Amino acid sequence: MRRTKLAAAVSALALALTGCAGGAAGGGKSEPTLRWAVTLPAHWDPVVSGSGAQFRILSLAYASLTEINEKGEAVPSLAESWDYNDKGDQVTFHLRKGLKFSDGEPVNAEAIKAYLERAKTQKNSALFGDLTSIKTVTAKDLDVVIDLTQTDFQIPLLLGERVAQIPSPKAAQDPAALDKSPVGAGPFVVTENVPGSHVHLKKNPDYWDAANIKIEKVELLSAPDTATIVSGVQTGVYDLAGLAPNQVKAAEAAKLDVVLQPGYNASNISININKKPFDNPKVVDAVRHAINRQEFVDKVTFGQGTPTDQPFPTTYLAYDQQSANRWPYDVEKAKALLAEAGHKPGDIKLDLVIPNQQTAAEIVQSQLAAIGITVGIKVDPNWATPFFAKDLTLSLYGTTGRESPVQTLTAHFGPNGPLNLSTPYQPEGFEVAVKKARETPLGSPDYQANLQAATRAGLESKALVFTHSLPNLFVKSSKVSDFAPIPGQLHWTGLTVS
Amino acid sequence: MFRRILTLPTGRIAVGIIAFIALLAVAGPFLAPYDPLEGGAEILAGPSGAHWLGTDYLGRDVLSRLLDGSRVSVLGSIQVSLVALVAGVIPGILSVYLGSVFEWVTLRLADTLIALPFLVFAVAVTALLGNGIPQAMFTVGIMISPLFFRVSRAATLSVARSQYVEAALISGASVGWVVRKHVWVKVLPPIAVALANTAGIGFVVVSSLTFLGIGVQPPAPTWGGVLAADLGYLSFRPWAPLVPTFLIMATVWACNLLADAIRDVSGEAGRALLLNRGRGHVPARTA
Repeated sequence: MRRTKLAAAVSALALALTGCAGGAAGGGKSEPTLRWAVTLPAHWDPVVSGSGAQFRILSLAYASLTEINEKGEAVPSLAESWDYNDKGDQVTFHLRKGLKFSDGEPVNAEAIKAYLERAKTQKNSALFGDLTSIKTVTAKDLDVVIDLTQTDFQIPLLLGERVAQIPSPKAAQDPAALDKSPVGAGPFVVTENVPGSHVHLKKNPDYWDAANIKIEKVELLSAPDTATIVSGVQTGVYDLAGLAPNQVKAAEAAKLDVVLQPGYNASNISININKKPFDNPKVVDAVRHAINRQEFVDKVTFGQGTPTDQPFPTTYLAYDQQSANRWPYDVEKAKALLAEAGHKPGDIKLDLVIPNQQTAAEIVQSQLAAIGITVGIKVDPNWATPFFAKDLTLSLYGTTGRESPVQTLTAHFGPNGPLNLSTPYQPEGFEVAVKKARETPLGSPDYQANLQAATRAGLESKALVFTHSLPNLFVKSSKVSDFAPIPGQLHWTGLTVS
Repeated sequence: MFRRILTLPTGRIAVGIIAFIALLAVAGPFLAPYDPLEGGAEILAGPSGAHWLGTDYLGRDVLSRLLDGSRVSVLGSIQVSLVALVAGVIPGILSVYLGSVFEWVTLRLADTLIALPFLVFAVAVTALLGNGIPQAMFTVGIMISPLFFRVSRAATLSVARSQYVEAALISGASVGWVVRKHVWVKVLPPIAVALANTAGIGFVVVSSLTFLGIGVQPPAPTWGGVLAADLGYLSFRPWAPLVPTFLIMATVWACNLLADAIRDVSGEAGRALLLNRGRGHVPARTA
């Protein structure tokens, strides 16, 4: 009798648990739900989050002033059109009518003005350096008039997803609260936010393109270890996840969809020429010749990437063919340059400081060892502080790129570029070349040539050695439709979950 | 004692495994067929005649890396054991003889150390003093020293209050003479058991820290480091983590077997310690 009762209790418990699990996995009702395994954003305020890869997650909750299309051209979003004055130092964005944020506040020029001014002035703004062209912002109902400090035709590209995801001005009055939970006018609205665990969002009926949002719910789930991502998608725990290159083979074997989303990504070795031994240009040149980019492609990207010696992939508009292979891999030449610089093998010992263990660091270590430079790998979890304070001598960085190629160039080569470890150094001729590119209208026949000239000037920088580019890798179940191939971005319009 | 240990089957197995591991530590780098830091071969290759255990994510020979990495584990384990021994036994014996203040202070200190999670503490110390195995192992040794403190104190107490010791003291023997002549003989067997036990703990700690990337700078090979790297490439070499795991398990098992064998041949004192071992990593308070 007791055994029967026990069996009944166990059965009941099992049924209850099964019911719970089914409910969780099924997402409740049969509404199309996307379960996305992500590193949950540490910041939900776009001003603080900055231009890093997290903007893709924030794009669920925020709409931006502009977007880009498959060709990387600026297209309407909150702004349905824009126009420049003749001189190119004033641009006016015309907003869509009748839009509102998820807290009911209107999407108007005042909201854009408040956002841009906050991004320029807030103490912990990560966007300050991106907005140096903006002098003043004037709000005229649905027209945002931006006066520029210089002629700059890059502004519509600049004010896209990475730099101008617009939050409600009312919510932004408390930046700390906004940083914990977003209030925007994006395609989804947060319904539940448990830090470190999950974020649930539902479709925003007031989004400007709501008719083309086919998903009703999105569940952001804290991503597990990369080695278990594939099994998570395979078993239906997740529908979508970022994928490490070494997991591509496993994902393909599991017959999951591997998505190679195009992007502007490029990885580099960051050098500080203000510190020894890199204050000697011959040492920098030795490093340039010591780097075998193909090894990064083979061992870091598992063949998914491509070598690049510029701050973007070789297929990008601004990639300068004239500068290709400017410092070819040549160990003997690198050794000779070190000798000319007065260094014997083993003389130079320095630390490569990185935020976490990376295969790329070990490759740099072995390639520099081959020319007689001893590199110690130092993992510093607080790496970002000394890196952006330009205190490190040698480091690694991988950028997801920018929609504006001029912004990409100034971020890497400009005197105050966040990715220029040798601040305030900038290569000779870069300032003039980048000014010319900035002043060239995007539709001009000279635009690409001027951009490439700016790239050429930037590549004289001794502060960066670019190594490889990797597309944005994702794994998804077959029930999620294909993403539009927007460079570097995930667009939610038209995406379906069956 | 060593001969008596070898009379036991478990003792012979333990000594055999530990001797093998010690041989790897001494001769491993010379036995390695390739430079453990040299890549260049096909990455993540399976076992072959050229690479018996295949190659890692940079094309380095895994067998060579395991052979070369054994030294770090063994030296780390020895360091933990010796630090714990010195930091535990000396205060443990002295706490019986140096008066109530010293006794109270050392007991409270031991209580405090027992309460701290030694692995987390070791990670914190490496963050403060630099990423190195010696710093981490020194810290862990100190954290484990209460084991030796308790064992040596308990054994010393049992001798110090015996009639023959009191008779010796009344007859004019010095405390130092009593410790050398009577206490040390009584303390030695349980200390030997604790030492073998601690060596096993040391292997686990070294492997855990190096698994987390703490203590050894890349590209230096370690068993824990090889295991961590293998886990990242399961889809290429699903069997690969078994090799470093087996090495770590076999070594720790051998240390525990040796502790059991020492206990079995060393009489009551050793048995008492081993009985307590099952209740935690340090014996219960004895005073």
